[in-house]
Amino acid sequence: MQKTLGSISVGSVIEIPQRPSFFNRRLMWVIIFIGGLFWALLESGIFQNELINTGGITLGLEFLTASINPELSREFIQLTLKATLTTLAFAVSGLFLSIVFGFFGGVVASETWIKSYTIARNDQDLPIFVRGLWLVLRWILVLFRSVHEVIWALIFVAIIGLDPLSAILAISIPFSAIIAKVFSEIIDETNHEPLNALLNSGVSPTKAFLYGLLPLTFADMLAYGFYRFECAIRAAAVLGIVGVGGLGYQIFLSLQTLKFTEIWTLLFALFLLNGLADLWSSILRRRLGVESRCGGTCIDLEAIQTTRKGVDPSYQDRVVKFSIIFAAVLVPLSFWYINPDFGILISERTSQNMVSVGQSAFPPTFEVFSLGEWIDLSKITLSMSFLAVAFAGVIGLILSFPAANNFLLPGGIFASGREKNAPRLLATALLVLTRGLLLVLRSIPAPIWALILLYVLFPGVLPGALALGIYTLGVLGRLMAEVVENLDERPLLALKAQGAGMGGVFMYGALPPTYPRFISYLLYRWEEIIRATVIVGQVGAGGLGRSLTEQLSSFDNQAVLAILIVFIVITFIVDMISASARKTLRAA
Amino acid sequence: MVGPSGAGKSTLIRLLNGTLFPTSGEVRVLGQRLDKLSAGALRKVQSRIGTIYQQFHLIDNLQVVHNINAGHLAHWSFSRSLISLIRPMDIQTAFNALEQVGIPEKLYERTDRLSGGQQQRVAIARVLVQNPEAILADEPISNLDPGLSKEIMDLLLDLSYRSGKTLISSLHAIEFAKSHYERIIGLRKGRILFDSSTDFITESMINSLYQGRN
Repeated sequence: MQKTLGSISVGSVIEIPQRPSFFNRRLMWVIIFIGGLFWALLESGIFQNELINTGGITLGLEFLTASINPELSREFIQLTLKATLTTLAFAVSGLFLSIVFGFFGGVVASETWIKSYTIARNDQDLPIFVRGLWLVLRWILVLFRSVHEVIWALIFVAIIGLDPLSAILAISIPFSAIIAKVFSEIIDETNHEPLNALLNSGVSPTKAFLYGLLPLTFADMLAYGFYRFECAIRAAAVLGIVGVGGLGYQIFLSLQTLKFTEIWTLLFALFLLNGLADLWSSILRRRLGVESRCGGTCIDLEAIQTTRKGVDPSYQDRVVKFSIIFAAVLVPLSFWYINPDFGILISERTSQNMVSVGQSAFPPTFEVFSLGEWIDLSKITLSMSFLAVAFAGVIGLILSFPAANNFLLPGGIFASGREKNAPRLLATALLVLTRGLLLVLRSIPAPIWALILLYVLFPGVLPGALALGIYTLGVLGRLMAEVVENLDERPLLALKAQGAGMGGVFMYGALPPTYPRFISYLLYRWEEIIRATVIVGQVGAGGLGRSLTEQLSSFDNQAVLAILIVFIVITFIVDMISASARKTLRAA
Repeated sequence: MVGPSGAGKSTLIRLLNGTLFPTSGEVRVLGQRLDKLSAGALRKVQSRIGTIYQQFHLIDNLQVVHNINAGHLAHWSFSRSLISLIRPMDIQTAFNALEQVGIPEKLYERTDRLSGGQQQRVAIARVLVQNPEAILADEPISNLDPGLSKEIMDLLLDLSYRSGKTLISSLHAIEFAKSHYERIIGLRKGRILFDSSTDFITESMINSLYQGRN
């Protein structure tokens, strides 16, 4: 064996390089995942308890068969139509406020904004209190979005009473915080040269932003705003369940009285509403030249990936123009339809309530539970969220490929290019079916899923985890399909061209470039699921979420605050774990 | 094959490797009509033809060894392919291929960390592992600088001579066509303008390919 420096002489033998160790950080995460899954299954009692409620199967079947026979009487159709409009109106007005707040929040919370002040002042160091204020703002945004809409709704009901405004604000607060976060990232990722040119020539930061930066971000922000529309509809439907009205509320009522045919009428309305919103936003995004904006739908944070395909967004485009006009009409109509009383906000009673609610919550009483109980509650919440994530991740991965339009369809990667009509029909049917399934899964609010699951499952962690998992699967599968659709197909075609079969092309070509995105979306959704555990408490799922709703209904505000604090701490821990896992993913 | 953009060079290569089928007429590859074959039989023919591309078309975030092993996919079973992704198999073959293209030390590097020239070498190594009877190269050097272009062309030619494999390339650079190939086919607007031994190629033949443009 001889090794020469630099050049290799003829006849020399070079050793095969040492294989990198099998025990790397990626393997560590795989082990953690499998261990976590096992622990979560153990924790959920899946190995000990009787799970399937055989007595409920007939009821479950009755529920399913009712789907072909929805209630179509004139009065009920009218009721459904009204409920649909209510849900839509809440979504639109909540989203509108969120975009307004989120826009300003996003500008102020952006790194760019604070930097432009330094440039304008020609000064490297900002006054310490400005920097401090900015950090506090960013923390407030985190707090706002880690509390679920339902909890916000209950808090607002305590402060301003049962006005529609409570629901609008309950949607707006977490949504504004998320939109602000995403907008600030859009601003930070946009080309800063025009802005700096203006700043360096003495223009004030506000004006420089207005002329040098915001026009560049407009298309991205518009696309993201519309992207949130479907989320807002789902949030509005969930809020309905706590009594705001609309589709969620009607479904809940019919479910309690076991009127299955009515439920299906309402569900079909919900599918239609969600499907149209999804269709609209995806057409609009394509027209704006902004594809696959960002990930996790309801919490997406860093998932922004600007993949403009060299399209210059044309605001003259008919679809874009129509969308903007339609939105401009829809917003005032929605506010008119719901008729919220903004006057309440400045009324004396509200400020009194606010003070009294605030006072009643301090100091938080952590003593409501012993340390052991706190740990048990946290364990249940964690294991429930983990099961949901694992379920959604594995099945989402399988469904995302048939749900993408570039795989089985003619011209797709797995199509041979010589299909006659039959396979084309089959492939199209499969695409429509999987997409439809994902739409159905995500349109039905998680609490409704939980109640439906209770027909066949005994109360416990499992129905809660499944409800969250099914709902998440609907969101995630759609997102993953979009990742697949944005895949560079040429390497896959190259594998196909050398005679590789479908399995080989899939394993060597399709999975490697997509799985890092899948996993990072999954990790973002994990945080969202933790947040959402509060809404499946009614199925005996337990954990912090259920204790929170219990304490809320018994008006023990000190305990509520204590649970909220623990909740937020857990969210932070989950956030840290997922950030660390994502880092490994990027490096690998 | 030489000719202006849009002459049909890439289309012809895609017709030859079975990723595109003719709307009229017929294409015979290794004696068989590709559009008449079953999916399995088509894959069998395809495994006997290797293709190299202008943009390399490797899987960026896989290690080099997996990209090379992808050359086995037509023959490997599903389970073998899967296991190899976790624990690479047939390392010796992959290593030998990589040694032939001159970058044996990159075996476990992530593919997107390599330079363009190195990535094209990996693509060639993949074709070596596939061990086809003919190699199609679709503008293999258009993304490389002149120095690297010559190295890659030398490498392709050397491999084709040593293993006795047919090498068909589409090229933009006429000088490389003349210096490296025995036979040159001039394509223009989907038609063959000339098909001749390199020795008989004249300046006016080349000019006729490109005249009337702009």
